[in-house]
Amino acid sequence: MEIIERYLEAVKFWLPKGQKEDIIEELAADLDAQVKEREAGLSRELSEAEVELILKQRGRPVVVANRFLPQEQLIGPLLFPVYRFVLKIICLCYLLPWSLVWIGMMTFDRAYRAQQTHVSWLAAVASAWSTWWTMAFGAIGMATLVFAILERVQARSHFLDEWSPRKLPSVRNPNQIPRANSIVELALTLLFFVWWALNASPRVLDLGSTVRIELSQQWVWFFSAYLVLAAANAALAAANLLHPYWTVRRASLRLLSDAIGAVLFCWLLRAHIVTSFSVSTLTAEKSLRVTQAIDFCMDKAFPWAIVVSVAVAAAGIYRIVRVKPPDPSSE
Amino acid sequence: MNPDPFENLRLELRRGSVVLAVLAALRREQYGYTLRKTLSDHGLEIDEGTLYPLLRRLESQGLLNSQWREEDKRRKRFYLLSAEGARVLEQLLAEWRRIDLSLEEILKEQSHGNN
Repeated sequence: MEIIERYLEAVKFWLPKGQKEDIIEELAADLDAQVKEREAGLSRELSEAEVELILKQRGRPVVVANRFLPQEQLIGPLLFPVYRFVLKIICLCYLLPWSLVWIGMMTFDRAYRAQQTHVSWLAAVASAWSTWWTMAFGAIGMATLVFAILERVQARSHFLDEWSPRKLPSVRNPNQIPRANSIVELALTLLFFVWWALNASPRVLDLGSTVRIELSQQWVWFFSAYLVLAAANAALAAANLLHPYWTVRRASLRLLSDAIGAVLFCWLLRAHIVTSFSVSTLTAEKSLRVTQAIDFCMDKAFPWAIVVSVAVAAAGIYRIVRVKPPDPSSE
Repeated sequence: MNPDPFENLRLELRRGSVVLAVLAALRREQYGYTLRKTLSDHGLEIDEGTLYPLLRRLESQGLLNSQWREEDKRRKRFYLLSAEGARVLEQLLAEWRRIDLSLEEILKEQSHGNN
């Protein structure tokens, strides 16, 4: 019957090259036997509609053929969780920061905004969207390619079968603060505090005999605020050293201190803090250009500082959220 | 994905049993269609889309032998358990009986525990 031949031809198209004829002959014999048996039961020939029903029950040609193909996966179940983890990292550490920086620059950097929207806002968004997708495809495509290669290598060498439970990372309480971290933090904060107190207070800095930097009046506020903040951070690090578990109170204090530090830093970048930068070997005009260049760099760094600040604040909030009720013995 | 958990688990449970049934049925030479009928007559329905790829896989593993022969004026591929297949079938049956026994023991223990 023609309809059976058409069906078998469609199945044949998807079959592996070397086995096409063999499989089709066997499927044809099976179909023939089924039709003959049905006809014998009914004592008549099957109509085309009845044969069509039999073929429909067997499934689409591509599905039938697929069962004869070797089961292949681009990334197998062993590597897939790692692949998914890497994709999350790409999104969180690459695509999201890029998006935030773009939003930050469009919001706070007038020159950038003017340059991007000189045609229209829609064109600026479309251009950013296109860039974002190119980046996303590039990064995700590269990760997929690397994992597909790893999958092939793993299938041959079984390198992932070699592992030892001894090499697994130790179980970590996320609320625990490693004492080593607190010691390093305390030492560095105290060093910074002393250095800051001894060296950063004057508004006029003479670096050697050739370089002279003059800072605006706002520097005094910035200097004092950072001095207080460093002292508070040192106290917090000392408390963490004595009680090495986060509590809601201490995690909130850390968030507050980080937030104040971030706001101060962002403010510093926008405050045009350097009023004059002079080098004895440079002309006044060139020194002015250096001062403007410093201002320009600080302006450009501002959106990035915002992104970092948001990330630090998010980490701080997450720390508060995940803090479990403290173990009475630890406090 | 099938939302019915019983159906998923039933298919999972059947997958290994079908291999065992096919090997057991092919201690006598048969071609695909009659094999399917034999299994169906014994209450084990299996569609051709599952059976033929399985037969080829078992043959490539050396557990079955096959040959094309003419019967009722139609060429058919006949399958028969190989010597290696017979050995593996014995091992699988022993494993099947061991699992069945273990399950019976567990169920017996549970029912004693409940009483």
